[in-house]
Amino acid sequence: MQENHRRRLPRRQFLRGALGAGGVLAAGRLAAAQTRTTIKMMQVSHAYPAGLNAQLGEFEQKTGIKAEIDLMSFPVLNQRADLELASGSGAYDVIQMVFIRSGRWIRAGWAEPLNPFLARDRDVDLPDFVAGAMAPFRRGDTIYALPWLADSTVVGYRADILDKAGYAKPPETFEALHEMAAKIHTRETAGFVTQDNLHWIWPNWLISYGGAFFANVPDDLTPRFDTPEAVKTAEMFTTLLAKYSAPGGAKLNSAVVQAIMQQGKAAYYLDGLGGVQRIIDTTKTQLADRIAFGNTPSGPRGHFPQLAVHGYFINRASKKKEAAWEFIRWAIGKQTMLKNALDHGHMACTRTSVLNHPEFKKKFTWRGSDLPALHEAVMKRAGDGYMAFRTIPQFPPIGDRVIIALTAIASGQTSAADGMKALQKDAEAILRKEGAPMKS
Amino acid sequence: MSSKRRRALARGLYLVAVGAVLLVVLFPVLWLVLFSLRTEVESFRMPPRLFVVPTLQNYVDLWQSKFLRAFENSAVTASATTVLSLLLGVPAAYALSRAGFRSERLLSLWVLATRMAPPIAFGIPFFLIYKEIELIDTRLGLVVIYLSFNLSLVIWMMRAFFDGLPRSLEEAAYIDGAGVLGAFVRVTLPLCAPGLATTAIFCFLLSWNDFFYSLILTRSDALTAPVAIVNFMNYESWEYGKISAGATLIMLPVVAFSLGVRRYLIRGLTAGAVKG
Repeated sequence: MQENHRRRLPRRQFLRGALGAGGVLAAGRLAAAQTRTTIKMMQVSHAYPAGLNAQLGEFEQKTGIKAEIDLMSFPVLNQRADLELASGSGAYDVIQMVFIRSGRWIRAGWAEPLNPFLARDRDVDLPDFVAGAMAPFRRGDTIYALPWLADSTVVGYRADILDKAGYAKPPETFEALHEMAAKIHTRETAGFVTQDNLHWIWPNWLISYGGAFFANVPDDLTPRFDTPEAVKTAEMFTTLLAKYSAPGGAKLNSAVVQAIMQQGKAAYYLDGLGGVQRIIDTTKTQLADRIAFGNTPSGPRGHFPQLAVHGYFINRASKKKEAAWEFIRWAIGKQTMLKNALDHGHMACTRTSVLNHPEFKKKFTWRGSDLPALHEAVMKRAGDGYMAFRTIPQFPPIGDRVIIALTAIASGQTSAADGMKALQKDAEAILRKEGAPMKS
Repeated sequence: MSSKRRRALARGLYLVAVGAVLLVVLFPVLWLVLFSLRTEVESFRMPPRLFVVPTLQNYVDLWQSKFLRAFENSAVTASATTVLSLLLGVPAAYALSRAGFRSERLLSLWVLATRMAPPIAFGIPFFLIYKEIELIDTRLGLVVIYLSFNLSLVIWMMRAFFDGLPRSLEEAAYIDGAGVLGAFVRVTLPLCAPGLATTAIFCFLLSWNDFFYSLILTRSDALTAPVAIVNFMNYESWEYGKISAGATLIMLPVVAFSLGVRRYLIRGLTAGAVKG
């Protein structure tokens, strides 16, 4: 019966409807086409990209660009990024600029200069990045990456143990640190622990005693590993590792060092700010409320805390550079960084505005230790340029060789003098092979 | 002491010794499984507590991450490789064992060529070729690579089993009217079942545990479990709970598979060791 009552659709009305539907469909397709740009990004697994992932919907809605973030461990990232970049695959549009590889990647022309984008989009607010965080990605006036992470070396310590040993605050000089480590070290609780990335930790000693990796970066890369300063600091540093560290001294990676602190098996920790969150996380350790923080010690020539910076850059082989830039612009934006800090515990931020935000200050001031101020001071200090030795193209193989030398000294296989002499020889060979300038 | 009591004592001591060895050998596995069932606070508590309320949170977290996809990739690529390796390798091994080629020795040697150099030697060439033919980050790409390595293993292992089997059995089948294929399928293969099981396990294990090629030739879509686990080593810390839960899950299929074919495995591994 219903069939009989159904009104027949007049042809004109049908055509109008069809046209309308077609229009809606076309508009939909246009919108879909706009949102169809998909970019891929690769970076290390970290709280920051976890925060980005959580906010990706907002980015997509704002720009119509879909972003896929591939997260991986550091060794995997180093391996893959080298392969992808060297092969010019262009599969990843945005890649994490690894601090110590920046020299090589920029020299090879794998990173797109960001200046044209920065000149156009002033809202990035370059001066808001602390100088030390920007330094590794500048070559003259050209900027190749923007920093999302700056890991500054800080000291974490068990306030209860130091108090008991008569230390109201951590030692301010390396000499005093050695005395303290000898005093508090027991079989159960190590007097000093640090991570096995020794080419990053040892320079805290080396530079503050007047030593250097190279004569004058970047013009004269003659290695300086056989100088009295290098030998003396290698001896000092490896003595700490051999005598006052937890078992395994020179070969404890950052995660293990954190686990040692979580378990209360060490009283003093010198490492990057990035790992601090874990040892004060009450869901991960019962000892969080006994931990306090301070500056790394100084040497006769001053205070030279180390800084490792990571940024985002556009892969020159990318075919979607505009979309890649939009992603970077959003990912290092003030609001994004602040949200990642507050919601995902990213403390090692690079923007002054974020570091001084009241909520940030409140969140990351721990037992009276103003970690944001500590971090900002290290970044400003590193802005003086003493970290430039880590961004020369030849650094990765030399850094590896430094680790081998220091490990050999710490394990008693060789003396500091002989170990440094061998390191000097190897470093010279590496630099000569690479055609690096060695004038002295 | 009577000899009966002495025997009982010896047996008791023997069992204690076996238990002690087993404990030492299996302790890392036990520790891993226990770790996966604890919260991080419990895992790092000093002194450690022997008994804690177990939690499945690490497995829940794993379930909610991209690890499942990686696990599926591992299962698909390892299974496909095992099946294809056996399908192609077993007839090849049979041919090498029975056909009596003139250059059979040379051919067998060349079959081993893919295993003569460490995987890293082939890493870059494979990456570049795969990039051109768009096989990077595909399951098919991984299967092809694993196949190239597993085939030599299958051919060499199965050939030894076929060589140990008297030809007279097949000749009897020919007299009964069977063709070459019929004799191979109905007579030879069933007799080589232990060898097939052993070879299958080795094939599966080689593909399942591969780290290098998955690292080089995948990005995210075809990523396999061994690399996915490493990716829980975050920059600022390691996710121990997920790592241990993931490692426990990775062990499960291998343990289940090995238990399923253990009868054949033992026979396969000891075949030819004692000849009557």
